[in-house]
Amino acid sequence: MDNIVEVRDLCVTFKTSEGSVYAVSNVNLDLAEGKTLALLGESGSGKSVTMKSLMRLHPPHKTQITGSIHVAGRDVLALGNRELSDLRGKDIAMVFQEPMLAFDPVFKVGDQIAEVVMRHEGCSYEAGRDRALEMMECVHIPSPRKRLDAYPHEMSGGMRQRAMIALALACRPTVLLADEPTTALDATVQIQVLLLLRELQREFGMSMIFVTHDVGVAIEVADEIAVMYGGRIVEQGPVDQVMTDPWHPYTQGLLGATVYPNMDPATRLVSIPGAPPQLYRQITECAFAPRCPHATDECHQPLPPPTQTDQRMARCIRLPEVAGALPRASVLPQ
Amino acid sequence: MTAFLQVEGLQKYFPIGKNFLGRPTQVVKAVEDVSFATERGKTLGIVGESGCGKSTTARLLMDLSPPDQGRITIDGQAYGKGAGRKPITALRKRMQMVFQDSYASLNARLTIEESIAFGPKINGASDREASTKARDLLDRVGLDPDNFIRRYPHELSGGQRQRVNIARALAIDPEIVILDEAVSALDKSVQAQVLNLLADLKAEFDLTYLFISHDLNVVQYVSDDVIVMYLGQVVESGPAQAMYSTPAHPYTAALLSALPALHPKDRKTRAPLEGDPPNPISPPSGCRFHPRCPFAEPMCAETVPPLADIGGGRHVACHMRVPGSGYPEVRPIVTVAPSPTA
Ligand SMILES: Nc1ncnc2c1ncn2[C@@H]1O[C@H](COP(=O)(O)OP(=O)(O)OP(=O)(O)O)[C@@H](O)[C@H]1O
Ligand SMILES: Nc1ncnc2c1ncn2[C@@H]1O[C@H](COP(=O)(O)OP(=O)(O)O)[C@@H](O)[C@H]1O
Ligand code: SF4
Ligand code: SF4
Ligand SMILES: [Mg+2]
Ligand SMILES: [Mg+2]
Repeated sequence: MDNIVEVRDLCVTFKTSEGSVYAVSNVNLDLAEGKTLALLGESGSGKSVTMKSLMRLHPPHKTQITGSIHVAGRDVLALGNRELSDLRGKDIAMVFQEPMLAFDPVFKVGDQIAEVVMRHEGCSYEAGRDRALEMMECVHIPSPRKRLDAYPHEMSGGMRQRAMIALALACRPTVLLADEPTTALDATVQIQVLLLLRELQREFGMSMIFVTHDVGVAIEVADEIAVMYGGRIVEQGPVDQVMTDPWHPYTQGLLGATVYPNMDPATRLVSIPGAPPQLYRQITECAFAPRCPHATDECHQPLPPPTQTDQRMARCIRLPEVAGALPRASVLPQ
Repeated sequence: MTAFLQVEGLQKYFPIGKNFLGRPTQVVKAVEDVSFATERGKTLGIVGESGCGKSTTARLLMDLSPPDQGRITIDGQAYGKGAGRKPITALRKRMQMVFQDSYASLNARLTIEESIAFGPKINGASDREASTKARDLLDRVGLDPDNFIRRYPHELSGGQRQRVNIARALAIDPEIVILDEAVSALDKSVQAQVLNLLADLKAEFDLTYLFISHDLNVVQYVSDDVIVMYLGQVVESGPAQAMYSTPAHPYTAALLSALPALHPKDRKTRAPLEGDPPNPISPPSGCRFHPRCPFAEPMCAETVPPLADIGGGRHVACHMRVPGSGYPEVRPIVTVAPSPTA
């Protein structure tokens, strides 16, 4: 098995006072070693839930997870608590949009990184601090030795983001999950962090899943892209192919709705009417049907298996007819 | 000849921290000597990184916070303190604002109708007139009045709430609408709907927009003219297309080349700037951009570059662009290519 991450038929359902929320349905993912997969989708489409499932971070009593998840050859859904905490940080680690979630505000950054290393590798405090320093250098934090003793709130936004990456990578995980780590950053800082992640990935031979709602960010970092809508992956494939020749009407709509540099102000944006679906029932038909310009009666029937080629997948019954149908789909350079 | 909307020398310092005498120990120079102008029916974009003073500028214009200094003129009528000026509160009838957070800017206890009708009522409309206006505007922003008029803000999606905010801003027939990150929190598919709507409304009601955003692509798409702010000051201003194709200020150039690529083969290999934007509490001396500027010369740390006219309606605050400034090798506008285009 060459894939470092393999997800099969993942379904995640939350029990809430308002009934079940079908957050993720029938998700399949394959991540090859050393590669980056971007999960692209709008708010509420299930990106973060998918990521948290890979680390089993959901509240156990309120969450029902079915399907299978393998990370670095381990069956994640079958792991006990001890093995789980072993897995987290060592095989798979996560960075978030908000670094303050990853750090405890009352402890020094250097000590928090050292603590993780000590816990996973059973080393001394000194060895942990040495690793912390090494990691702070790796992520290009200026005056790293001094910053080891800084508290999280004493760092600027960009620096905290780097420190969080240092924390996540301290035990050299084989897989890094990055959940919108640059969304809250300014443009000039965002590109620094994206370049840093790419560099570290090469250096450490890591695999990465990168969640974003920004097409440009996905193009900067990813080899493969998976587009999520209503809890399902609706399209997947190599990033250049999906971005230049989107098959699924939702992907086409998303690209048409995005404003690109040097667009003629007289061009109207392709707007997708309506809003994403509520997930209070299990959607077996195409979740995009209420907003899709190509929808017909058969689109409201349960969806058959997706269209699959060697490299690409799309979940639309009107393929190949509707592939490349929107005029703006050709906006990206071929 | 003055422009339709003219803003001159706007300034706002926020005192922060207190010593034992209760005196502020520091000031945040949030907005300093900000001037700009725009014509009726145009869109003026305002860009810059977080904390550079965009929202403070908007709040000063709307009188949500009093400026320390500055002068605002609409159609030749001056507003503010001083002889011959109307009180700045009178501005609000001519200027309205839509904020980023669609939820916080609506009163949770008012129905959609009450929220939209509020402005017309306090401006003397009868209940009936105000209600008719609310229905008309809801229809105009693409929300079926019968379906939405009695709902509360929490019963709407983010995009629908932002449409209500736009309807509410238009309810007192303003001439100028300030859009402060008004589409930034929306998903792309919904953002496109709202941007199309804003374009239609602008044409229909002959509106003038101040469009504040950190999204450079959206600003280029909607704006006639753009101003770029850095640490409370305007560093460049001018027609959007000229500025985007040949940025004059090194900071503008850096912002544009920080935009993510459109094709994997054009991926960035180098970040245009290192480090985070510095703090407006103790901004750098001379040119505030000098610690991050790849073209900085010793004089840049000492002398403040004025916002100089470089022709074509463009202004830039950079010694490198101004003959006679003392900069060793004054250069014409560099063509730092923005992200590749379709
Ligand atoms: N009431 C206040 N007291 C103290 N400082 C303030 C206050 N309001 C704003 N500031 C400071 O003034 C500066 C400019 O703030 P402003 O919110 O206008 O920036 P912005 O460019 O709109 O930022 P963002 O894009 O993050 O919203 C910031 O450093 C901010 O922290
Ligand atoms: N702990 C939870 N309990 C109930 N519903 C949840 C929980 N976490 C997420 N959801 C729901 O799951 C859906 C997908 O959420 P999420 O993956 O966070 O979206 P995003 O793509 O924005 O990251 C949403 O409808 C969200 O409200
Ligand atoms: S299945 Fe039908 S509704 Fe869904 S994307 Fe395809 S054409 Fe549109
Ligand atoms: S004045 Fe000097 S430091 Fe400032 S932008 Fe111009 S070259 Fe750079
Ligand atoms: Mg999320
Ligand atoms: Mg702001």
